[in-house]
Parts: sequence; C-alpha cells; structure tokens
Amino acid sequence: MSNYIPRRSFLKRTAMATAATIAAPYILPSGRLFASSGNRIANHVVFCLFAGGIRNIESVDMQRGNLMPRTLSGAGSVAPSIAPGMDPLPNFSGQSLQSQATFFREFRYAQGPTGHFNGHSTALTGSYTLQDLSIKEAPKMPTIFEYYRKHNSPSQTALNSWWISNSLGPYPSLNYSTYPGYGALYGANYAQPLTLISDDGLNALSNPQLFTNTEISKVNSLRNFFNDSFSKSSQNGNAGIDNGLIDRDPVQAFLRQELINASNGVYADPWGVGTSMNADMFNVYFTERVIQTFQPELTVVNMQGVDICHSNFTEYCNSLRKADFAVGHLWETIQNTPGMANDTILIVAPEHGRNLTPNTIIDQYGNAAIDHTSDATSREIFCMVVGPSGKVQQNQVITNVTGESIDIVPTISHILGFHDAIPGGMLSGRVLNEAFV
Amino acid sequence: MSTLELNDEWMKKLLFIAFLLLTLNACQKEKDYIFEVDPIDVQKDQIGKGIPKSTVEFLSIAYSDIFGSSITQNDLNRLSLLYLAFGDKKLLEDLLIKNMINRPESQLPTNAVMRADVAAFVKATYLKLYNREPNELEAYTLKKNIDDNADMTSVMVYYAMMTSDEYRYY
Repeated sequence: MSNYIPRRSFLKRTAMATAATIAAPYILPSGRLFASSGNRIANHVVFCLFAGGIRNIESVDMQRGNLMPRTLSGAGSVAPSIAPGMDPLPNFSGQSLQSQATFFREFRYAQGPTGHFNGHSTALTGSYTLQDLSIKEAPKMPTIFEYYRKHNSPSQTALNSWWISNSLGPYPSLNYSTYPGYGALYGANYAQPLTLISDDGLNALSNPQLFTNTEISKVNSLRNFFNDSFSKSSQNGNAGIDNGLIDRDPVQAFLRQELINASNGVYADPWGVGTSMNADMFNVYFTERVIQTFQPELTVVNMQGVDICHSNFTEYCNSLRKADFAVGHLWETIQNTPGMANDTILIVAPEHGRNLTPNTIIDQYGNAAIDHTSDATSREIFCMVVGPSGKVQQNQVITNVTGESIDIVPTISHILGFHDAIPGGMLSGRVLNEAFV
Repeated sequence: MSTLELNDEWMKKLLFIAFLLLTLNACQKEKDYIFEVDPIDVQKDQIGKGIPKSTVEFLSIAYSDIFGSSITQNDLNRLSLLYLAFGDKKLLEDLLIKNMINRPESQLPTNAVMRADVAAFVKATYLKLYNREPNELEAYTLKKNIDDNADMTSVMVYYAMMTSDEYRYY
C-alpha cells in the first residue's frame, strides 16, 4: 500500500478548502451564502401611504358613495350630503386597482398612538412604537430603505431607493434610523417636492456653474488634496445620506430639470385637472418623474390631504377623491414606464384611521369633523397589494380581519427577495403571503 | 490505517511544522533603521477644527464668503427650508454653492487677480475659507497646482475648497 494522495483527490480537496476559506467571511447570519435576489416576485415596489388618517367607513365601506373609484371597485355615486363640496375630476371608466389586486379589507394599525408620525414610522420600520414620538426624531428601528440597501444582494445605491413626502415636519427623519449598524449609509434619497420644486428652489438651485469633465477632474483632485489634510469627513456631521460623486450628477441634473419644468408651468397642472390640483397630486407627480427618470427598485410616497378632516369633513371626502385620482395616475405611469411596467408591485395603505365619533366642528355642508385619538375605529384601515397577474392574486378580497401595518415591511422585503437575509428577531410582522400567486 | 488517514496525519504534521517555522521567524525583533532625516509628525488633524457647522451656519458663512455681505434672515430661512427638503445634504450643498458662484453678484477674485500673485491668492483664500493660514506643504501644493494648470480658475479653487470636508467644520 503506497502512502501518497492521488493527484485528483489532492486537487479536489485543495479546491474545496480554498473555496471554503474564501466563502466563509461572506456567509450571512442566516447561514446562507449572500442574500438571495433570485427569489424576487418583482423587481420594483412602490408603497403609497394613503396617509392623513382615513376611516374605512368613508373608504371601503363607501358610506358616502365610492369616493375612490380608481382604487376600489363599485359604482356608488357621491352622497348628496357631500356632493356640493366636491371639485371636478375627470371621469373614470377603466379597471380599478382592486381588480388587479389582493385587497385586505380589514387591515389593522393595532398598537401605538394613532398619530401621523407614529403611523408612518410603523409602516416604514415594521415595528410599532408605543409612545408618542418626538418630532424630527429618526426611528429607533431600521427603515425598509435600510433593510433594502443593507441586505439586498447585490447592494444598491440610493438611486434605487426614494422616500418622497408631502410635507416637512418630522417626515425627513424617516429615511434612516439610529439603529446600530444601519443608519444614513443605507438611507433613501429623500425629497419633499412642495418645498424643493418652488420659486425658492428655482432661484437657489436651477442655474449652477457648469464645469467640463476636465475641469471637474481637476476640481476633484484639488478637493481630494484638501480632504487629505483634514481628518474628519463631512459625513461625520449632519450630511445625511450620500449619493457619492458618481450618482450625484444624475440626481442634480434631475433636480435642475424638474425646476426648469416647474418654471415652464409643467407642475401647475400636469394631469389636466385644472384647479382641482392639490399638494397630494403635486407630490405624486414628482414621484412619477422620479420613477420615469430612475426606475427605482423601492419607492415610498405619502399623501396627507385628508387630514383636513380635523376641521372639515366634506373637504376630507374631496381630498380622498383626489388622493384616489393620484394613486390611479401613479399606477398608469408605472405601467407606461419601461423597466417598471409589469414588474412592479404597488402597495397602498393608510397609516391609521379616524375615530368613530365626530368632534364638534361642523363644516358649511353640515358635516361634523373627525379626529383620530386611538379608539377602535381609528385602528381600522385597509391594504391593497396591486400587481401583474402571475405575481399577485387578482381581484381577491380578504374580508376577515387579516394583516397589520407591521406586515408591510416584511412583505416588501419578500417581494424584493431579501426577507430571509434580515437578521432574525428584527421584524415582528409577517409576509402577506395571501397576496401572491 | 488507510492511505487517506495516513496522508492526513502527515499533512497535519507538515502544516504544524510550517506554522511553527513561520511563527518563530515572524517573531524576530525588527531592526530600527535611522535615516538622515529629522523625524516629523505628519499625522492629520493638526488643524484643530472639531465642530461641524450647523445648517444655518454653513449657509450664512458660504453666502458671506461668496457675496461679501450677510445673508438676510428671509433668504436664510428660505435656504434652510430647501436644505430640509432633500436628504443628501452634501449633494444639495454642492448644488447651492455651484449656483452661488455662478451668480453675477458673486465677489470671487478674478483669474487675473489670482494669476498676478498666486502665493498671495493661496494665503488669502485659506484665510477666508478655512480661517487659517496654509502650512508650507499646502501653500506649495496649491500654488504649484495653479501654476502648472493654465486652465485652473479661481472659481474652481473656491468651489473645491467650499465643498471640501474642512469647510464643513470650524
């Protein structure tokens, strides 16, 4: 018996040992090698927070008629009690989103105060917060943007991840958290178009000094020299997320183009709705421009016009119709955008509802206003998962109480194929598997 | 004992001996070579700036450095709101500064002034934008950069410095 290893066996063992040595550092906590992006249901998700506080009574129950014909199937005409306060909108005779969706009719915002920031934070982190959040405080748990950018494989830049909010206040804080190991490095591109795409934006941002490529190269070289003499990065300050030098140019070019478009009147009435155009529509139109320009994999946009309900119920209903129009238009734009059409899943859900009992403010049409102070009705919301047949169960209505706000983040991560890469214990919600084929 | 097991034993012994030899060799004391150069500490952070400028500070200082006058409270409020409305602050600062230096009322030194006395321009620009004099290496390098590049403009120097990390601190 000889004491040598056969050459083939030696080579095989060496190759296996080398492969194991190289692969070991990349094995994820879940035990898998790299995150799987091969199991994606779709390559794009748009999450539209139908926010501001919407009661199921006015939305899915249609107590004042079908105020959301682009979203919900049903022919109920607008009730006479609110009809005089409705602004004109183009008629709609197409296919409702519901017919292309799985509709969770009795979704729940189950815990925590029914505050707008709490509701948004829950929807974007997949974690309830049981106390009122301080304004402008970044969430403590990672946002969906951070989960996506940290755990999706291959990793993506912020160009693929956008958070677009209707107003400022606390909402800019929602693009990344303070959770250790996550944070600004994995945050989304954040924009608040109503402030950005304005006369002030036009004056301050639309006419920059333009440099040639050679000049830029020399400027970068000079800047590197200055930075090399200084030990702190401005990222250590309050620089927020960083697109980096390569992605900075297309984002700046996009902002400039939108400002020029706005100065040419494009943003005044891009959808031909005349004076019915409101802030929610403006916000969604900017989102459409982001989608058309960058085809992001993950986009979150909110609308909040319905919050007028604290003082004017009829205008709340009017805003609900406009938000519905905006969501319908958004879906049309997605389907007309190469790269996004038939490969996008749209999720629509309010952040919370409103109380059963109205307050004492009566509007000019005799309707009583409604607040949201965490009663049982204010926790009742809906959720719709819209997508192509073959990916999403079409025209499916789930009528029993199913699903919670904290399920949206796991569901998005499931659609984009990185759910299993998120460390165990960070998400308490579940994937809304009922929605998928 | 099979051939495979015997070979494993030998492989283990060989690896252990190789490891031992490498370790012992690596533990030899390194010789200290002293060359004929004075020891100089070239570590960073000799500048002593540690506090990042707030948004309002950054905007008002940048405005003042470019236009030579103070920004009005109204303009400062407007710019601060714009600043809040976009997440990538460095990108927005970059765009703001490129817009400011492109405005006709900007008070940046002309190329003629810069070329007339590059050393003086370098010193004055460091003092104005970084609030300190350049050290010898910085003064030499920036001057050489300007001298060697006929197409380097004062605007390019200002833009590079105002978008550098140090400009974000005081």
